Amino acid sequence: MEMIKFRLPVLVCNDLYWRRVIVVLWEFLICCSKLARFYFSNWFNMSEIDMAVIKPEMMRPYIWLETSDGSIQQVEQEIAMYCPLICKEIIQKGMGSSKSCAICLPQRVSPAILSLIFDYCRFHLVPGRSNKERKSYDEKFVRMDTKRLCELTSAADSLQLKPLVDLTSRALARIIEGKSPEEIREIFHLPDDLTEEEKLEPLKNTTDDPRIRLLNRLYAKKRKELKERERLKSVEAEEEHVDKRSVDDLLSFINGNDEDPKGIKTSKNKKKNRRKKEQHQKSSSLTEASKVTKKEVNGQNIRHPNSEADIIAETSISHTEDVFAHKEFDDGDIDDGIDPALKEKIDREVEDFARRLNSDWPERMQELLSSGQERKTTLFSPNGNGFLRRNACMFFHCF
Amino acid sequence: MAYTFSFPEEVLEHVFSFIESERDRNAISLVCKSWYEIERWCRRKVFVGNCYAVSPVMVIKRFPELRSIALKGKPHFADFNLVPEGWGGYVCPWIAAMACAFPCLEEIRLKRMVITDESLELIAKSFKNFKVLVLTSCEGFTTDGLAAIAANCRNLKELDLQESEVDDLSGHWLSHFPDSFTSLVSLNISCLGNEVTLSALERLLGRCPNLQTLRLNRAVPLDRLPNLLRRCPQLVELGTGVYSTEMRPEVFSNLEAAFSGCKQLKSLSGFWDVLPSYLPAVYPVCSRLTSLNLSYAIIQSPDLIKLISQCPNLLRLWVLDYIEDAGLYNLAASCKDLRELRVFPSDPFGLEPNVALTEKGLVSVSEGCPRLQSVLYFCRQMSNAALHTIALNRPNLTRFRLCIIEPRTPDYLTHEPLDSGFGAIVEHCKDLQRLSLSGLLTDRVFEYIGTYGKKLEMLSVAFAGDSDLGLHHVLSGCDNLRKLEIRDCPFGDKALLANAAKLETMRSLWMSSCSVSYGACKVLGQKMPRLNVEVIDERGPPDSRPDNCPVEKLYIYRTIAGPRLDMPGFVWTMEDDSSLGLSDHAVD
Repeated sequence: MEMIKFRLPVLVCNDLYWRRVIVVLWEFLICCSKLARFYFSNWFNMSEIDMAVIKPEMMRPYIWLETSDGSIQQVEQEIAMYCPLICKEIIQKGMGSSKSCAICLPQRVSPAILSLIFDYCRFHLVPGRSNKERKSYDEKFVRMDTKRLCELTSAADSLQLKPLVDLTSRALARIIEGKSPEEIREIFHLPDDLTEEEKLEPLKNTTDDPRIRLLNRLYAKKRKELKERERLKSVEAEEEHVDKRSVDDLLSFINGNDEDPKGIKTSKNKKKNRRKKEQHQKSSSLTEASKVTKKEVNGQNIRHPNSEADIIAETSISHTEDVFAHKEFDDGDIDDGIDPALKEKIDREVEDFARRLNSDWPERMQELLSSGQERKTTLFSPNGNGFLRRNACMFFHCF
Repeated sequence: MAYTFSFPEEVLEHVFSFIESERDRNAISLVCKSWYEIERWCRRKVFVGNCYAVSPVMVIKRFPELRSIALKGKPHFADFNLVPEGWGGYVCPWIAAMACAFPCLEEIRLKRMVITDESLELIAKSFKNFKVLVLTSCEGFTTDGLAAIAANCRNLKELDLQESEVDDLSGHWLSHFPDSFTSLVSLNISCLGNEVTLSALERLLGRCPNLQTLRLNRAVPLDRLPNLLRRCPQLVELGTGVYSTEMRPEVFSNLEAAFSGCKQLKSLSGFWDVLPSYLPAVYPVCSRLTSLNLSYAIIQSPDLIKLISQCPNLLRLWVLDYIEDAGLYNLAASCKDLRELRVFPSDPFGLEPNVALTEKGLVSVSEGCPRLQSVLYFCRQMSNAALHTIALNRPNLTRFRLCIIEPRTPDYLTHEPLDSGFGAIVEHCKDLQRLSLSGLLTDRVFEYIGTYGKKLEMLSVAFAGDSDLGLHHVLSGCDNLRKLEIRDCPFGDKALLANAAKLETMRSLWMSSCSVSYGACKVLGQKMPRLNVEVIDERGPPDSRPDNCPVEKLYIYRTIAGPRLDMPGFVWTMEDDSSLGLSDHAVD
C-alpha cells in the first residue's frame, strides 16, 4: 500500500519522548484507517482519495437520511454504510450527521423500499453467518410481487449495492424465463409498441425512400408487361405441351380433381415406374442441360437481386429465423403485387377448399378406408429389391 | 407505467444477462421497442436453424456484439441421401461477413453445412479469441483446413468434427498445434480416416490439463490407448479407436489399469471391431458411466448384457440390435435411470431378421425405466397393443422415433394399420416433441396426430397416409409444428395450398416423391413471399413438363432473406411477385 500523507498534528511539545509516543500513536491510527479502507474499498470500490480523510464524525452511531417523499429517518451507521452511495456521502461530503444535513437519497428509493434494503444489510452485516444461511435468506427475501421487486432492483442500483442488484436481477430473470412476450408485457406493464411489421419482419419494404418505391413500381410494371407478352404468346403457340395457364385455371383444375383420389394414385404409380428406369441411368446430361438454361435465364434476368435484398436488409429491422412470432399469418397484411381482384379470388377459393375438406371429412374417411384395402396391393412395386434398397437408404444413420 | 420504468439500461441488461435460452431471448426482444433495443445489444449467442432464412448481413446488423453463432444448413433428410449433392448450405458467405464484423467471435457451430479450407483459414486468421469449432455432419474441407485452425487459434478449447466428411490428406495436421498450446478442452476426430501422428497426440494430451472430451478415430490402435489415457486421466468423455488387437495379456492389464486411472470418466464411445475378451478392461469405469455408445460395436447379446449390467447409472445407451429382446430386458432391470435409448439395425438391407429383436424389447424398457424420455428404435415387427402399452407406461416420452424396417408393415398380430398404436402414443405422451412414423398407416393416424400432438415440433413421415386429408390434419392441428419431412406419401396440392399460412409458422417442410404438382408450387411461391418454395428436380426444368406434373422433391422454408442465389442447376425457387424478374421462362 502506498503512503498516505496525513498532516501530522503540530505539537507544541519539546520533549522528544512524548513526540515519539505521539508518532507511534499516529502511525497506529493510520494503520487502522488503512485496514478499514482496505475492507471498504474491496466491498465498494471506492477511490483512494475518498478513504483518505476520516473525520471524527464517522464514529457516530446514527445517520440521517431523507427519502424521495421528503421524510427523514435515522438508521444505524453501520447499516447505512453498507450502501456505497451513502458511504460516499458521509465520507466525501460529511453529510448525514444531523437532521439538518440529512443525506438525500435518490428518487428511486422510497421509505418502504429503504427499510427492505436495510433489512437486507442488517442480515448480511453479521459476519458469522454461513453461506447456506445467507443463500436461504436471499431466496426468501426476494419473494415479493413483481412491482415491488422492480422497485427494489431500481433502488439497490441507485444505492450501488451490487450484491442486492445481482440478487434481484436474477429473481427478475427467473420471472421472465419461459414466458411469452404478451405475458411479460402484462407482468411488467410494458407498452405493446412494436409494429406488426417489426414483429413479423416482412420482405416488403418498410422505408419511405422514394427511390425504392419507384424502383418497385417500375419492376411491377415490367413484370405485368412480361406476363401480358407470355399470355399473347400462348394464344399463338401451336404445341400444347407448354402449359401457360393462368393461376385461375390452375386452381380450378386442382379443385376439380377433388373427387378423384384414385387419379392421384395412378399418376404416382406411373411416376414411380418412370423414376425407377431413370435411376439406372446417370442423368448427368440432363443436369448439365438444366444448368446451362439456368445460366442463360439468369444472364438475361433483369432483376438485380443483390441490390434489392441489400436495400431491404439495410432499411428494415431484422429478426433471425427463430424470432418469428407464432402468430397466425394474416393474409390481408401482405401486398405481394398480385392484382387484388385475382388475389381475392385465390383467397376465396383456397378458403372454400379448406372448408370443404373439413366438412365432408367423415364421408371421405369412410370412402378412403374402404377403398384403402385394394389400393394397397397396387402400391407395392413388383421390383422388390430396388424398392427395398431405395427405402433402406432411409436408415443411413438414424431416422 | 411500466414497472421497469426507472431502470437504467444497464440494469435491464444485467437482468437479461441471466437469461440464456434462445426462446427466452426471442421473447424478450418482442416485448416492446426499448427491450428490443437493449436485448439486441447484449445478445451474445444466436442460433439460426436454417441458414437461408436470414442473411449474414441481417444478423450482423441486428446483433453487433455476438460471440457465438450456430447455423444449420441442409434439411434433415440429407442424412438419408435424399438431398442431391450440391444443393447448398455453403457457409462461406457467413464466415466472410463475420470475419469483418465480429473480430471477437468465439464460437462457431455448424450442422449439415459445406465449409471449405479457405473458410477454415479465414476463421483461423480473423478471430483472435476463437474458442469453439463444432462441425456436425459437415463436408467440403480437408485436414489442411484443420491444420490452419490448429496452428493459429491460440485459445481454442473445442474442436469437434462429429460425423463430418473430411478429406483426410494426412494425419500430420495435429502437429500444427504449437507447443505453447494448452487450452484444449474437447477434441473429437472420430470421423477421420487416417491415423493422426500419435506422438503429437500424446504430447498434446499431456500439455492440456483441462481436457475433458477425447473422441479418437478408428485408426488409433488399441495398444496405444493406455498411453494416451495416462496423459489425461481427468477425461470425462472418451471415444476409443479400434477396440481389438492381437490377444496379449499385458495389453489387457495395461488397458485395464489405464481405465482404472480415469476416475472421472462418464461417457464411452468408439469400440470399432470389438474383441469381446477386451471388454472387461472397461469394467472399472462402468459404475460411473452415464453414457454408452456401442453403435459401432458388433458384440453379441451375452457380452452386451454382461457389460450393461455393470452400469447402473446409465442415462443414455446407443446400441446395435444385437442386444436383442433379452438384452433389453436386462437393461430394463439394471438401468433404472435410463433417459435415452437408441437401437440401430445391424443388417437393414437383409430381407430376413438376423437378430431376435422385436417389439417386446422396447416394451420391457418402457416398463422398467420410468425416466425414459427419448427413443429411437429399429425393428421388424410391431403391434398396436405394444404401442398402447408403451404409451401408457411412458407418458413422459418427448422423442419417439420408431422405424419398422420394411415400409408399410402392418400390425403383425392383427394385420391392421398401426394407426391406433401411434394414436395412443400421441394421446398419452402429452409432451411429445419429436415423432417418426413407420409401418402401415392410413389418414387416421394423422387425424390422431393433429388432434393430440399439440406440443409436437418435428414429424417425420414415410410411406404413410392415403390422401391429402392426412397432411391437412397435421398442418391444421399441430400448433407447435416446426419441421415436417415427408417422403413417398400420397399428399398433393390441396392440403398444402389450404394450409399455406401455416407454412410461415414453421421452419421448413420437405416433401419428396409425393404428389405435389409444379403448378401448386408456383401458386404457393407467388402467394407467399416470405417462403422460399424450392423445387428440386433432377429430371430437368419443371417448365418442360405440364404444370400438373408432380415435382420430385419440394423444400419449403420461411425466410426473410428472399430467394437464395447459390442454387445448383437442379433447384428452382418459385418466384413471388414482389421479387423482381422472371420465372424460368426465357425472355424473348
